[in-house]
Amino acid sequence: MNKPLLALALAFGIASVASVQAQTPPAASPAPAINDAQIAHIAYTAGVIDVTAAKQALQRSHNRAVRAFAEEMQRDHTAVNEQALALVKKLGVTPQDNPTSQSLASGAADEQKKLATLSGSAYDKAYVDNEVAYHKTVNGALSGTLIPSAQNAELKSLLETGLKLFQSHQMHAEHLAQSLK
Amino acid sequence: MLRTTILLAGLLALTGGILPASTSNAKRPATTPGHHVHVIVIDQMQYGPMPTDVHAGDIIEWANKDILEHSATARDGHFDVDLKPGTSGRITATAGTLAFFCKFHPTMTGTLVVK
Repeated sequence: MNKPLLALALAFGIASVASVQAQTPPAASPAPAINDAQIAHIAYTAGVIDVTAAKQALQRSHNRAVRAFAEEMQRDHTAVNEQALALVKKLGVTPQDNPTSQSLASGAADEQKKLATLSGSAYDKAYVDNEVAYHKTVNGALSGTLIPSAQNAELKSLLETGLKLFQSHQMHAEHLAQSLK
Repeated sequence: MLRTTILLAGLLALTGGILPASTSNAKRPATTPGHHVHVIVIDQMQYGPMPTDVHAGDIIEWANKDILEHSATARDGHFDVDLKPGTSGRITATAGTLAFFCKFHPTMTGTLVVK
């Protein structure tokens, strides 16, 4: 696993621990449970990261299939984030920054820098491989931590819809990665 | 107060405000007697169950209940129905096997047999 994704997995691991701790009896110094405002922030951040990666791909790639995939990522993650923003506004929740979101953002920035040094087929392969790994990790976090921890039914439902969408993205990315080999 | 409510309801009815939000960006041919409308619901990145017993001349309608834009695009290029979230679109079925996909999400596919 590359460094940014390891950071991402660790970040979600922290969220998982926080979630588990929320359900166990109070310890001497319990870590704060992940709340809906933090979950919304993490999900939104994950979407923004993939939109940013897609924009970079549209600037750097000349491969038609890779560009079509990047357009799909940009369009879908933007649409889901618009829904997420509308929902938090409706619920009167202010997304709350947290260590998981910060780790996600910093890991993604590292990945962007790495990808910026590549071009041609090397770039295409690295971008798509990272998309496979990124969606796999985010989907694992959604199903393992974020959805089970969400308290608000509408937020949970949006996350579940997001999971279906991102699973489809992962499948698309895997097919694309195969075709680039 | 009652008059205001009635006026408001009238205005909503006139502007389509109390009609279903669904709109169509495909042609909506009038159904002729004996021809059925078959609805395929799109939700959560999937086409719903394919209708069976579809005959040439029947109407196929895709209803997009998802939060994303989709399409029903024929593999052979015979139709391409864009479906914004919350809208629906129709075609008139012709005999044969209709293979279609979402041009925005190529992993979404469907096949329909028209008798």
